[in-house]
Amino acid sequence: MNRSFLHKKIYWFAVILMICVFSSSFRVPGNKAGTLKLTFVNTANGKVISLRDSLYENAFGEIYSISKLKYYISNVLIPGSGQLPENDAYHLISAADAVNSFEITMNAGNYKKVKFLLGVDSARNCSGAQTGALDPTNDMFWTWNTGYIIFKLEGTSTASNADLNRIEHHIGGYKGVNNVATSIDFNFDLPFSIKENGVTELVIEMNLDHYWKNASEIKISESPMWMTMGGMAKKIASNFGGLFSVMQVKTIN
Amino acid sequence: MKIKISISIIVLFIAAIFFTAAKVDDGFGAYAPTPIKLKIPEGWPKPTNDIFAKNKLTEQGFELGRKLFYDGRLSKDGEVSCASCHQQFASFATFDHDLSHGVNNTLSTRNAPALINLAWMTGLHWDGGVNHIEVQPLSPITAANEMGEKLDSIIFKLKQDSSYKRMFKAAFGDPLINSQRMLKALSQYTGSLISCNSKYDKVMRGEASFNHYEQNGYNVFKAKCAGCHKEPLFTDNSYRNNGLPLNRFNDIGRQKITNDPKDSLKFKVPTLRNVQVSFPYTHDGHIFSLYQVVEHYRTGIVTSQPTLDSLLKNRITVTPKEKNDLVYFLYTLTDSSFIKDPRFGPPMYYSGPNIISKKPAHVEPVRQ
Repeated sequence: MNRSFLHKKIYWFAVILMICVFSSSFRVPGNKAGTLKLTFVNTANGKVISLRDSLYENAFGEIYSISKLKYYISNVLIPGSGQLPENDAYHLISAADAVNSFEITMNAGNYKKVKFLLGVDSARNCSGAQTGALDPTNDMFWTWNTGYIIFKLEGTSTASNADLNRIEHHIGGYKGVNNVATSIDFNFDLPFSIKENGVTELVIEMNLDHYWKNASEIKISESPMWMTMGGMAKKIASNFGGLFSVMQVKTIN
Repeated sequence: MKIKISISIIVLFIAAIFFTAAKVDDGFGAYAPTPIKLKIPEGWPKPTNDIFAKNKLTEQGFELGRKLFYDGRLSKDGEVSCASCHQQFASFATFDHDLSHGVNNTLSTRNAPALINLAWMTGLHWDGGVNHIEVQPLSPITAANEMGEKLDSIIFKLKQDSSYKRMFKAAFGDPLINSQRMLKALSQYTGSLISCNSKYDKVMRGEASFNHYEQNGYNVFKAKCAGCHKEPLFTDNSYRNNGLPLNRFNDIGRQKITNDPKDSLKFKVPTLRNVQVSFPYTHDGHIFSLYQVVEHYRTGIVTSQPTLDSLLKNRITVTPKEKNDLVYFLYTLTDSSFIKDPRFGPPMYYSGPNIISKKPAHVEPVRQ
């Protein structure tokens, strides 16, 4: 390899690198970007859920405890915000974690709408081995009938007639009528604002009380166990639309 | 002038980064992947799924997948590898076993299917429950009556082995070991298991000819079997009830996946390629010879089942001679070069510098 060729190669390398650097900076529109932080807080009976040692009561007077509570949030969309694609746009919210937050970079401005999906879209269910929040080591994946469990609730209840008074609800299914991924929309009466270089936090409550009673009535005594798609999974998912509400909008800086 | 100087400085700076980065040695060898291009056999349709679109097929990925496929550490007791139930000499089915053996002397409830030509399969497993080649291994790995292991335990075990760190780096650019990379490597190996060199294929390519009996059998096959076992893959990828009774495991087949009673007792139409060596047959492996399989279609079909396939309502009429000829024809589907190809065998026998030069017929290197 002669020297001029090497120089040429380095030169082109530099040019390409600079193009990459510039083009990536252009993706932040107008450089007036801020951050939306979404924080999920899981509650039942008006208290933040703590695993195992706390008891809760559902609308039917059934007393239960929770040992596992995990669900997927994905496809967050703030219309008109020019939001940047997230590095990993799938988030596993777990009651075992002290804090469940993630951030989205978007244009500064005022916004009145936030949308997200409770679950994993069907395209991603059909795309082979995944990593990050979707890594099957997170135990949210059906191996014998491919697909993600989008909502997992495990615990115990005296109302449960299953072995060891168990509650095990593994809710999933992405195909056709069995699709349980649920789109959640928030429309704000007053807009919330994202300031340039600022962080605005939306604290979103997932209220498990509505899991048991909303569009449908889910009684532990009747269905303590459900771990396949279809049937009860559909019925339970009919309550998903009512699980979430915005608790607080905080301007951090 | 100023601009020129500043450009030179930038160039030098970048070159410095470039050369420093190249010198960093993490002790796990180099990353110089050799791409492989899968050749679609002559006269075959395009694969249903581009399984390597997001999983670039390379020599290094294939080799890693092969090592994983033959590694018992993917099971709980270290004894059961993928290859335990998918044996090359049986066309990657289990030789002479109706049901597969799992850890702790367990038995599965289904016969291990042959792992060939998977890029053309639209659904995996007898019931089509698995939708992608990359996630298929999760099922046998975690099933208590198969490999019985937890995925994170496997990742932990692999991380203890520096040879794996080297191989993961060679395949993926750094020594990180995670489930996604393990599954992608496995599918590079299993997706490369293409069997396309049987006598039948040679006849189709004009390189050989059937004898009298084989030709008769082929004619019978085309008239009476090809409705489901469609050439050249010898399956149409559909799920059908072929008139077997509900077995002792109450295996309802595809209905378990779709929840639809119309799918009761439907199972995937298996490929007939290498059928001579992949016995026993059917989803629970209860038929041990091809003659008995044909006899099932002639006299054994349970015609009272509401979901019985419409092509089988009147069973299949074959004369004793046709039955013989049909089996002769099925023997021509045996691809002996595939089942003996050292490239698909256990890596310990063939590791070493020569392995890269050993290419099966369907694989050709990409010239850079």
